[in-house]
Amino acid sequence: MTPETGADRLKLVIVGGYLGAGKSTWLRHQLHVGAFSNPHLVINEAAELAVDDAIFGTDTPATLLAGGCACCAGRSEFLTALRQLCDRRSGPVGARGRTDLAVLETSGLADPAAIAQAIQSDPMLPFHVTLAETIVLVDAQNAAAQLAAEPLSRAQIEAADRLVLTKTDLAPAGDTARLIATLSRLNPGAVISADIRGVAATLPDHPDADPLPLADNAAAPIAPIQITLPEGLDWSAFAVWLSALLTAHGDDIVRVKGTVRTPAGRLLLQGIRTHVQPPEILPASDLARDGTIVLIGRNMDAHRITRSLARFAARLL
Amino acid sequence: MCSSCGFPSAPGHWTEAGAPTPGDRMRARFRRAQAASVLLTAYGLTARDDGAVPGVQLSSATGATQIVPDFDKVWAEAARMVGTPIDPLGDRFLGDA
Repeated sequence: MTPETGADRLKLVIVGGYLGAGKSTWLRHQLHVGAFSNPHLVINEAAELAVDDAIFGTDTPATLLAGGCACCAGRSEFLTALRQLCDRRSGPVGARGRTDLAVLETSGLADPAAIAQAIQSDPMLPFHVTLAETIVLVDAQNAAAQLAAEPLSRAQIEAADRLVLTKTDLAPAGDTARLIATLSRLNPGAVISADIRGVAATLPDHPDADPLPLADNAAAPIAPIQITLPEGLDWSAFAVWLSALLTAHGDDIVRVKGTVRTPAGRLLLQGIRTHVQPPEILPASDLARDGTIVLIGRNMDAHRITRSLARFAARLL
Repeated sequence: MCSSCGFPSAPGHWTEAGAPTPGDRMRARFRRAQAASVLLTAYGLTARDDGAVPGVQLSSATGATQIVPDFDKVWAEAARMVGTPIDPLGDRFLGDA
């Protein structure tokens, strides 16, 4: 495979979040202030009756997918819609409907990681689509209850690159502070901010707030583990070890991030659960961090992981 | 995709990235098969890539052989052949069993 820089591919931004988190309201404001340049909206609703398209009006080109969530029942419609966007991009520059950015508003029942997986399993789309960002909205008023009751709500938060708290004006500042502490424990890598009806708001400042107690299914907290490539272990061999690790423990490993040196240059490695994005080549730099991979997940024994990698390298070299 | 053999069935697997020239790609193929064998030996399997047959060839000690297209499927197929998941953190690989 020749990894591309991704510059010539259709960028996909996933806007997710639990039912009623404020996805449409937030997105409408972002479109209004021009946060996305020339986007094509893909709006997904789990129910047959579509409401969300009415919220957005007709200024932005949009595709509505109703009656099935893009990560499960509505998967084929979603992939067809993405393929159509890619088809239009193969036309002349400046042609009508040609876009470089697709913004997917998921249904409240969608798992962003499952959507990334669906794109990757398509025979054509991985060549043409690159997942730019996963933004997950978190309802400051109701997220604590949702996290306690719904594993899905937690899966959404864990898959995010960016978490946006909504409705912070309706929740007591102390509760919001505890929620923020919980979120940074669940997904230590995500950037957290707050927006009220799409307008940026300040986060309450309580750095010492206690995280919320999580339900049993959520007992094991997510923790980052850093692994360093043993001296002399090349990328091809490391990739094999990592793919075996992700196949065996993909449900526990929520995120994989890092850069490695290869004959093609520095590769950016990014994964959500068992799904690893086609690695991108980064510009050369002198950063000493190359060869360091961060695994974020639960139930992981850092000592065992290091021992396994060391044993693997020793047998191979 | 080749219309005779059906390979590759999907765009390059992420483990195949980082090899810009045909020579690099061939070296990386041999290296991956060698690396996979390190893990699979603990389960009585070997992985082989002869550079001609597309995909990776998995063989068991009794001679059962399967050709698999990429490394997601290598671990799934190996788990099927030996009846237990291939786990790099497991006791069989770490020598604790």
